[in-house]
Amino acid sequence: MINFVLRRLGQSAILLVIMSLLVFVGMYVVSDPVAVMAGEDATAADRAALAAAYGLDQPLPVQYLTFLANIVQGDFGTSFVYGRPVLDLIFERLPATLEVVFLAMVLGLAFGIPMGIFSGLNRRKPATRLISMITTIGYSIPNFWQALLFILVFAVWLRVLPATGRGPTTDFLGLQLSLFNAEGLRYMLLPAANLAVALICMQTRLARSGTQEVMYQDYMMFARAKGIAPRRLIGRHLLRNILIPIVTITALELGTLIAFSTVTETVFSWPGIGKLLLDSIYRSDRPVVVAYMILITLMFVLINLAADIIYAVLDPRIRYS
Amino acid sequence: MLLTIDRLSIAYELADGRELEAIKDFSLTLERGRIAGIVGQSGAGKSTIGKAVLGLLGENARISGGRILLEGEDIAGFSERQFGAIRGKRVGYIYQNPMTALNPVLSIGEQLIETIETHTDKRGTAARSYAVELLTGAEVSHPEERLTKYPHQLSGGLCQRIVFAIAIAAQPDLIIADEPTTALDVTVQKAVLGTLKRLAAQENIAIVLITHDMGVVSQMCDEVYVLLRGQLVERGPTMQIITAPQERYTQELMAAIPSVEQRRARFDVLDAFEETPGRQRGIDYLRAGTVALAHGDTMLAISNLSKTFTGEKGGAGFKALDSVGFAVRRGETFGIVGESGSGKSTIGRAILGLVHPDPGAIIALDGHPIGQENRQALSRKLQCIFQDPYASLNPRMDAGTNITYGIRAAGLVPRKHAQRLAEDLLEVVGLPRAAATKMPHAFSGGERQRIGIARALAYRPGLIFCDEPTSALDVTVQAEILNLMKELQDSLGLTLVFVSHDLAVVRQMCDSVIVMRAGRIVEEGPAEQVLTEPADPYTRQLLSAMPRFLRSAAAS
Repeated sequence: MINFVLRRLGQSAILLVIMSLLVFVGMYVVSDPVAVMAGEDATAADRAALAAAYGLDQPLPVQYLTFLANIVQGDFGTSFVYGRPVLDLIFERLPATLEVVFLAMVLGLAFGIPMGIFSGLNRRKPATRLISMITTIGYSIPNFWQALLFILVFAVWLRVLPATGRGPTTDFLGLQLSLFNAEGLRYMLLPAANLAVALICMQTRLARSGTQEVMYQDYMMFARAKGIAPRRLIGRHLLRNILIPIVTITALELGTLIAFSTVTETVFSWPGIGKLLLDSIYRSDRPVVVAYMILITLMFVLINLAADIIYAVLDPRIRYS
Repeated sequence: MLLTIDRLSIAYELADGRELEAIKDFSLTLERGRIAGIVGQSGAGKSTIGKAVLGLLGENARISGGRILLEGEDIAGFSERQFGAIRGKRVGYIYQNPMTALNPVLSIGEQLIETIETHTDKRGTAARSYAVELLTGAEVSHPEERLTKYPHQLSGGLCQRIVFAIAIAAQPDLIIADEPTTALDVTVQKAVLGTLKRLAAQENIAIVLITHDMGVVSQMCDEVYVLLRGQLVERGPTMQIITAPQERYTQELMAAIPSVEQRRARFDVLDAFEETPGRQRGIDYLRAGTVALAHGDTMLAISNLSKTFTGEKGGAGFKALDSVGFAVRRGETFGIVGESGSGKSTIGRAILGLVHPDPGAIIALDGHPIGQENRQALSRKLQCIFQDPYASLNPRMDAGTNITYGIRAAGLVPRKHAQRLAEDLLEVVGLPRAAATKMPHAFSGGERQRIGIARALAYRPGLIFCDEPTSALDVTVQAEILNLMKELQDSLGLTLVFVSHDLAVVRQMCDSVIVMRAGRIVEEGPAEQVLTEPADPYTRQLLSAMPRFLRSAAAS
């Protein structure tokens, strides 16, 4: 197991280098940060000075190697736009995204799995058809459109929840979170619900198809024949077997949401990391974009590693060597 | 009376809304401590009866008539909740395949202890020590250690013993045992049945034993119920049913069972071969392809065949085959017998080129060594009849195309003649010409296996490798297929390599035989000699483990 973890981390180092190179070159090709920074009326001399100050006059390979050397020393560079260290910028915004994604995940699993198991077990009940209809609709309506509907219904018509922005935060282990006060939570509900809709639909479908498959396995009939109470039959024998695909998808979704919840954050003016990425791409803020992508790649690697480890815990037949 | 089933009928709802009566007016009575066998072929409805007693029928099945009395109480109309008080507690269940009956992701200990905690007042360490006690009773070695294991880490025989322990945990009055040993090797089967019989006697548990195996019945049961298409054909004491069956169906069933004690030219089942021009044309085609060589030449010679499967991290490998060598003469049926894991299938795979043998092995067909490079040309000389007729036909091609697409691709027959050839060959294997245009799903298992045989014959191969060709079939169907193969062997002089775990089938079919154990040949020789005067202790053990019964009356 330890070998497996080390090997996976080794492989991901290569992945990170490739990723940084791709983003670095990509940003170089599509935009000229000097032009964006200097503005319309800068002279050629101003531009040259600016380029020299940021090392942008060097050939691309040199720039890239300098960048790599700095990263090894823990320096991800300084934002062209904000003039502040990139990591500071990212970690300032990250908690806002993490908490809203966390809440969405909890909602997704808490609603999706029970709904899925229910529809898997009761295929002919009207409630199952209702669930199936809701999940189809939830899947089909685009994310941003749902967001606008939420704002219209809950903020404009009913006036029960704030439409945009982030509420007051409290300090938790050095992070500024709004999860732990009622007012902050009110601000979080709409963006979290917006992210959760797709999750709930997906988890419902996964849990339903898993349930339908597992319920017909011999061991489920044998467990019934043993006289095991329905609660234990579902909560242990069934759940344990359907969790594996759910863990896979949840891991992938978790990464995607943290990295790219840009649309939701934009609609709700949520000051998260997705919005930072979007702004930085517009302004050709290369250090931010590159550092962001590297961190996100690293995060995907770690989340998937965690998922693999959870598989082995869930299913004794899986052994890594 | 512990269990009385009184004119029970069970109906299945079909997709088009109609109902199919799977069980019609079935009655059974069983006293405490007795063992009743329900026998019949697949599809006869045996398992359905067992499930009905436990309320485990599927959503689309319902009891359409009759009563199931457990100690006088009619449980036929019980709700799921009411059955909760019966399952495991008063009626235990033993499932056909022990490897799939246990939940793969939960430990043995958890699955056993949850049953104990559901039905008894033992908790925690008391439950655990009772679990160990139960496993010891079911003759599971190292019971403490097994509790922490998962099903995939244990053998089928051990898993079935654990299932026994679970079934008797609450000391039920009755156990439904649904084909409890079908998935097990013959020596394991004997020991496992012995354990079951002892446990039942010790706890005074009655058993309803559902099986298709008359050998198991004769070893276990006090009384037998013979089922045909959901209806009771005959019931009576075991000895009477086996030695003096009254009904025609029971007589046929008995006659179809191969015996390890005597070799018969044919089984007494009806073979309907009409001597039509098409059939004759098919036989002529096949005969013409068999190069006229004298019987007795060596067709297949194998020497020094070893196969080592390398272990993880380059550790010591597992030797599936260890210096195996034998020769198959032209025109004979050569048997390879052994239990699962003995390496008998690996020999076949090596011959067919599906595994690479260790260096040094020589496999020569018709005097020419087979290398990996000339595999393509080999299909003409070497064909295979597969174990599972349900999986070995392409479901999207009709029977005729299934038979000829290989030889057409190999250029052995022109496209325009293919259809007629397929129809001729279908007649050769005892199917009507019209079968050529039907899809595989329209055929029964036995009919599919006939198509599989026609497909293999179409190549006019020198050697046909038969991998347990009848082990997936019912006993009367098996008899038909074995008769067919004997018939073809006689008229065409085929050379067959016949792999089987069933010594009785081998006795009926084979001229010479090798007995495999753990990758080695422990005994070889003429089949008659090996199976009547075995020299090796392992062969003797295999033979003595075969369930057998008196058939003097049945054979007459």
